[in-house]
Amino acid sequence: MTDADAKDPLARLQEGDRAAFDQLVRRHHGALLAVARSFLSGGDAEEAVQDAWISAHRNISRFEGRSALKTWLTRIVINECKMRLRKAGREINLDISSDEQDALVDRFKDNGHWRRPPVAWEFSTPEQLLEEKDLQRCLKHHLHAMPENQRLVLELRDIQGHGFDDICNMLDISASNARVLLHRARTTLFAMVEHYQETGEC
Amino acid sequence: MLKCRDVPQHAEQLLAGDMTPGQRFSLRMHLLMCHHCRRYLRQLRVLMGALPQVAEDSTDEEVRRVLDRLDRQA
Repeated sequence: MTDADAKDPLARLQEGDRAAFDQLVRRHHGALLAVARSFLSGGDAEEAVQDAWISAHRNISRFEGRSALKTWLTRIVINECKMRLRKAGREINLDISSDEQDALVDRFKDNGHWRRPPVAWEFSTPEQLLEEKDLQRCLKHHLHAMPENQRLVLELRDIQGHGFDDICNMLDISASNARVLLHRARTTLFAMVEHYQETGEC
Repeated sequence: MLKCRDVPQHAEQLLAGDMTPGQRFSLRMHLLMCHHCRRYLRQLRVLMGALPQVAEDSTDEEVRRVLDRLDRQA
């Protein structure tokens, strides 16, 4: 092992080590693209993330480590996306519209008991669920079809594992707002898996 | 009393570790009596465990386009 390898990766990044930065890009680019795609469509999303990388590269020496590097990068991407939307006179709607309900709303009786209880799934572990390739495709399909604000919060929390408080800060939304968006997204996917179990179709 | 209707939201709070002891207790009591809600929680756990694994990787092309731009910037 050379001296350079033994060094703390963050120290290498902050000294301007280009190989370390390339490694950072490889590691996080997919996740950052996924975030940007909740704000912008294909080519614009990619451009926004590229701009975010340029700005991250320029500013990494000033990264103080008060948040995880992943959070810092995601925040840069989100700000870049918001700026582009603003320039285009648009914005992502992170409010919760009251005319929208979660996917389970019709499943309960007036007395609060299940009207249509959950059906049993044939897989009992995440791995078994993912082995079903059609189901995995269906999951991705529904993920892309759901309202962008729900997808964004689910992407950040359940797929990428960002902290709940970090997400509220990054998106500048209240905890209760974030909770409702997450809940709607999760119940949509739950109902989808259930539908797939019952019918074998997406 | 906690109703089945409340369980989906409470189940998420439970999985996030975001519950007061009192809330956890009433959820536990409900789950003891209700196999539908036990099934809901069990299956929600499976779904949420699978989600991190549907993350999309970037393609080599996409990464290359970033590195090219960084090269031009330098």
